[in-house]
Amino acid sequence: MQERTAENNSPPIFAHTIEEEFARILDYYGIRWEYEPHTFALEWDEKGRVSRAFAPDFYLPDQDLYVELTTLRPKLVTKKNRKIRRMNELYPEINVQLWKRSDLRNLMLRFGMDDHAAAIMGTEAQDDE
Amino acid sequence: MMNEKGAHPEPGDFGPLADDVSQVLYTAAEIGERVREMGQAISQDYNGRRPLLIGVLKGVFPFMADLLRAITIPVQVDFMAIASYSRSTRQQGFVRLQKDLDEPLEGRHVLFVEDVIDTGLTLSYLLRSLRARGPASLEVCTLFDKPQRRLVPIPIRYKGFDLPEKFVVGYGLDYRELYRNLPFVGLLKADVFGRDNGV
Repeated sequence: MQERTAENNSPPIFAHTIEEEFARILDYYGIRWEYEPHTFALEWDEKGRVSRAFAPDFYLPDQDLYVELTTLRPKLVTKKNRKIRRMNELYPEINVQLWKRSDLRNLMLRFGMDDHAAAIMGTEAQDDE
Repeated sequence: MMNEKGAHPEPGDFGPLADDVSQVLYTAAEIGERVREMGQAISQDYNGRRPLLIGVLKGVFPFMADLLRAITIPVQVDFMAIASYSRSTRQQGFVRLQKDLDEPLEGRHVLFVEDVIDTGLTLSYLLRSLRARGPASLEVCTLFDKPQRRLVPIPIRYKGFDLPEKFVVGYGLDYRELYRNLPFVGLLKADVFGRDNGV
């Protein structure tokens, strides 16, 4: 778990370039964010130790919203979807959005960043998700 | 805009532009009807208050033009322009106004008119800025809403249609500054993305 925010001098080490771009967009529009500030336990073993957990990429404190980004192809997102479903079961009061690669691509296209959009999913899309 | 038959223009009237659209989501007739309904509602709600309608260039201008003509009470209009996030603006690190309003807002009943609300990032920034100018009221009117990926909650007083989480163009919405002049709204074909000239 990392507790680093945009307000700190040392920016977080992002796991993916799209996360870094997303953070820049939030900064640009004056939205406060934290990077992977909380980890939620999803499963426990017989001794009560956490065996599966989930740390959403971003937390927006003013909106009380968690955002998870993924550039995985739809067929590979199943595992992440399961985690979010489990989170919704265990922590129904927590708001989590899953931004799929088509969402990220559309965001990049809207901001005219076509190369980022293409890097996320090539030029196909729109029809396949 | 009318075609030879006097009806709303059809996608076929727009040649190569319309050929890039895989599916029409809302026709010109549907949009026109909904805009008229919204204009009537605004006329009733703001009667006697002389509202100031504010829009952000460029996407809103077709909707603003049609909405204005559907409003039957005295109304004023003003526009602002901002530098959206892009490769060139991100270095400066914050939103910069390219054109501010001409009208003062203090004590005015302000209706912020949007073409589409998506993440809510731009609009929330602008609403914060406008609230600081002391309007008597500040409400939001949008023709299209994409609530699925809203990052910042936006209270919407008037809404035309919901849109799916797809990249849509037409009626002011663009891809690389093109397709704004389509009188309908639709999905772009996948092979349009990545073309050098968009069309």
